[in-house]
Amino acid sequence: MRARGLFILVIAAAAAAGFGMPHLLPGYLVNILTEALIFGLFAMSLDLMIGYTRLESFGHAAAYGLGAYASALLLLSFDIPMLIVIPMAAIITGVVAMPIAWVCTRSTGISFAMLTLAFAQLFYASVYQFKDFSGGSDGIAGIARRAGPFGIDFFQTKIGYFYLVLIILILSFLFCRSLVASPFGQVLAGIRENEVKTRTLGYNTRAYRMVIVVLAYAFGGLAGALYAPLAGFASPELFFWRMSGMVLIMVIIGGRGTLVGPILGGAVFLFLEHELSALPMVRELWPLIFGSIFIAVILFAPQGLWGLFRSWREKRRIGVVSKPQSDAPHAAS
Amino acid sequence: MKNDKPTAKVESGKKIDRVFRTVTRRKVLSGGIAATAVLAAPAFLHKTAKAATGPIKIGLPTVVTGGYAELGSHVIRTSKLVESMVNGSGGILGRQIEFVVADTQGNPAAAVRKTQELVERHGCHLITGVVVSSEARAIMPKLKEWDTLFVSHGNGDGRLTTPQFLVPNFFRANVSAPMGARALALYLKDDPAKEYIAIGSDYAWGQSSVKAFDEQISILGKKLVDKVMTPVGNKDYATYITKVMRSGAKGCYVALQGDEARAFYTQATQYGLAEKMPLYTEIVSQSNIKALGKSAAGLVGGSRYAYTQDTPQNKAFVQAFTKAHPGQLPDWTDGEIYQALAVLFAGMKKANSAEPDALVEALEDLEVTSIKGAIKIRKCDHQGMNPGIVVKVVDGPNGAVPEIVKIYSREVATPDCGKTTFS
Amino acid sequence: MDFLGFLITQCLNALSQASVLLFLACGLTLIFGIMRIINFAHGAIFMLGAYVGHTIVVLTGQFWLALIAAPLVVAGIGALFEMFLLSRLYARRDGGAYLMITFGLAIVLSEAVRLIWGAQPKGIDLPEVLTGVVFLLDQPFPIYRLFLIGLGVSASIALWQFLERTRTGLLIRAVSQNPEMVHALGTDIRIVRTGVFALGCGLAAFGGILATPLFGAYLAMGNNVVVDAFVIVIIGGMGSFLGSVIGSIMVGFVQVFGAYYFPSMALSLLYLLMLTVLIVRPGGLLGKEE
Repeated sequence: MRARGLFILVIAAAAAAGFGMPHLLPGYLVNILTEALIFGLFAMSLDLMIGYTRLESFGHAAAYGLGAYASALLLLSFDIPMLIVIPMAAIITGVVAMPIAWVCTRSTGISFAMLTLAFAQLFYASVYQFKDFSGGSDGIAGIARRAGPFGIDFFQTKIGYFYLVLIILILSFLFCRSLVASPFGQVLAGIRENEVKTRTLGYNTRAYRMVIVVLAYAFGGLAGALYAPLAGFASPELFFWRMSGMVLIMVIIGGRGTLVGPILGGAVFLFLEHELSALPMVRELWPLIFGSIFIAVILFAPQGLWGLFRSWREKRRIGVVSKPQSDAPHAAS
Repeated sequence: MKNDKPTAKVESGKKIDRVFRTVTRRKVLSGGIAATAVLAAPAFLHKTAKAATGPIKIGLPTVVTGGYAELGSHVIRTSKLVESMVNGSGGILGRQIEFVVADTQGNPAAAVRKTQELVERHGCHLITGVVVSSEARAIMPKLKEWDTLFVSHGNGDGRLTTPQFLVPNFFRANVSAPMGARALALYLKDDPAKEYIAIGSDYAWGQSSVKAFDEQISILGKKLVDKVMTPVGNKDYATYITKVMRSGAKGCYVALQGDEARAFYTQATQYGLAEKMPLYTEIVSQSNIKALGKSAAGLVGGSRYAYTQDTPQNKAFVQAFTKAHPGQLPDWTDGEIYQALAVLFAGMKKANSAEPDALVEALEDLEVTSIKGAIKIRKCDHQGMNPGIVVKVVDGPNGAVPEIVKIYSREVATPDCGKTTFS
Repeated sequence: MDFLGFLITQCLNALSQASVLLFLACGLTLIFGIMRIINFAHGAIFMLGAYVGHTIVVLTGQFWLALIAAPLVVAGIGALFEMFLLSRLYARRDGGAYLMITFGLAIVLSEAVRLIWGAQPKGIDLPEVLTGVVFLLDQPFPIYRLFLIGLGVSASIALWQFLERTRTGLLIRAVSQNPEMVHALGTDIRIVRTGVFALGCGLAAFGGILATPLFGAYLAMGNNVVVDAFVIVIIGGMGSFLGSVIGSIMVGFVQVFGAYYFPSMALSLLYLLMLTVLIVRPGGLLGKEE
């Protein structure tokens, strides 16, 4: 009950916030907000691997970059409407992820993390190597948000694009949430807690891990595919290891294994970075403060920001109910 | 662009605000969403409308933190100097000028975000000081949407002023990569050597430079025996230096910048490369001379700007600079940002306006006497016609000095209109 | 003859490159072996070592002093960080927490360096003995790089002997294999952890100061080098000291010969090497799979 109430609250708040917000804000903030939501989607996709299956990927930038380059190249080379290009790019990313998933899931733990990193860096290097195709260090610029199909051009505008991202984020969230709550998700949870035991129960755990990696890449690719038309360009930095590190931090700062947390983490990360660096009195100092905030969050909020929020709610509940109950089986672990 | 397309371009900033305000009230009434207002409020307070009075705001989306911070710090220090100089003498068009700095970290994604904020939050419809070429490339397609003018002070990729990338609101006041290579190639005309090798950083500027140098020396009947392109961010040049030494070339053309250049020169000195063949570089920078120490002497190179140039404007600038920064000398970025601003101000005076549209018209075919002499901003491709300067580093009583050995006229040094080649 | 000279030069190039990376990689792998921490801040610590070393050279004019003192200073900073911040996280047994706190440290350190030393890059003048070239079959080779190779070889042997032969080394290896057991036997493993973290930081700083005469001290110097170090540690096997030595040499050779013969693939080769090794041996050459 409680979980359901919370869930509805979150969705309602997100929808209300989303649908009113853009009209309240000056244009540049709409774009930043859009980018924040995209980062949220990106972080959420990684949470499928980290939070639900304990597959710590160190190379999730590969998904983002693939999605962004796929949508950039599709938009520039073919006359396909943006609304079709974006899901196409996500599917392409998922397909490319299949062999990657096959190779990476042979390992777990640190080896898995490093294999994913190797693939991401390989993509990064390839962008430089296949210049004619990828634009090399120049990246790809001048990506247009092409209208259609059926003459829909609302999503081309700044505010329209924001709505598009918001809708996709909410749909993705709902999908992922039902996924982790499904029997499939239960097996994933089993893998996370004790893979050997799950295997002895007769599940082909490697197949499950492969599926979740492919799905995580596809959603990461979706985020990248949304990013390219927003920024109007794609550059090799999208594949770089620092991007992978950043998204990992977003997931942790928000709270692993909660789906909502990483979305929050992605948005907070971008806003903090942006707003801190814009404050005139701290302009020179902002990275110092930024870094210190990470250290503080991890020291004082081990479960991330969402965990902090939940334990605060928990405390208020304990004030009323005498005994703390074990967590309801909703999104959080 | 339905919601934010301005009807009258000149007053777009105000128009946008008005549209937002009316929509806002309706939405607040119908939506009833207090929570969002809390989030929105702090940023909302910062919002400033573009005004025809008050200070002229110039945005500097430059690199404050991260790997290119040195170049960004030069942009900022000279802009601040210009700010105090101009405002001290009554401003431009009777208005003060004001620079707003934003930190792009050298990352094109952040550059777009930050520049958009400079435009829409701080009302800067004039920008300069962009350090990295890829940042410039990411910003350029957005200029029209933002109704913003961008004057480059240091973006070297030759293609920025070709039809491939040029946009109406972009101007380049500075020397581009092909121009640097051109001046150097012309200087090498009298060099008896016929075969050279090129080493360049494998990104837009490096590729552009090496290509132009190759074309230029082949016109002179010389050739490149090899082009060595090194990955971006490379640090250990041992294997490349070995390659250059074994190439049999009689001179080495270097198109590396910043940290890469410093690493290369330091290591090349350790291998004694300069004793084996002369080094020619496209940009002689103060910080590289400093890093090279004793081994800097003898280096010949193109120069986007040399503080030793003998023009009255330059002497005044160097004097003001050394007064503001005792013990330091202006580097090429300082000179080029100073010139870019001089071009911008001359345009304002000519147009009697600081509005982007009026400025675009005024900058086209603008003649200005800058620290490097007479500069012309061409109408056809928005490229600034700069003289081609070649310097040689010599030992002086206070350390190595880039001495100007040759200045080619701006007609000879600037490529054909909209091209990266010379006729 | 000419080709032989070339071959020797390139091999020495590779070994000198490996020497700088070795110190960085050994620090990483030691810290990982004992604490299961992937230290994101390693690149920043490498850079800090270079800047501290630069300052010592400027103040005293002594390169040799800087070579000893800079790693000590940085090791001290590392020890403080471990004692006051990192140690609070051990009870959680959470890799993500380590990642995040070291990520925060990396940002803080990088910016502290910029605020203290400014954006201008710094160089170091080498002492007279280390400048100049020697000719090997008519090919010039810098004396400083020979010095690096010598240092790399002797430091590897010294560290190896330290880990294999001394009581402290035994203790460190024991903690990396079974910390609970060591703790139960009455040894304070807190001191071991602090010491190893400090040692790892000191080694990185040592690499930093050794690198300064090659490419100067500047703000981005840790950025790409740290990825190379990661690759080495992974190729060698996380936590394996000997693996890191072998990994460093492999990476040095791949970079030097790869960039010479396949310049357009210079960036990819390293990762292809890493992928190949991991596919054949998921735990790395000398590591065991987790």
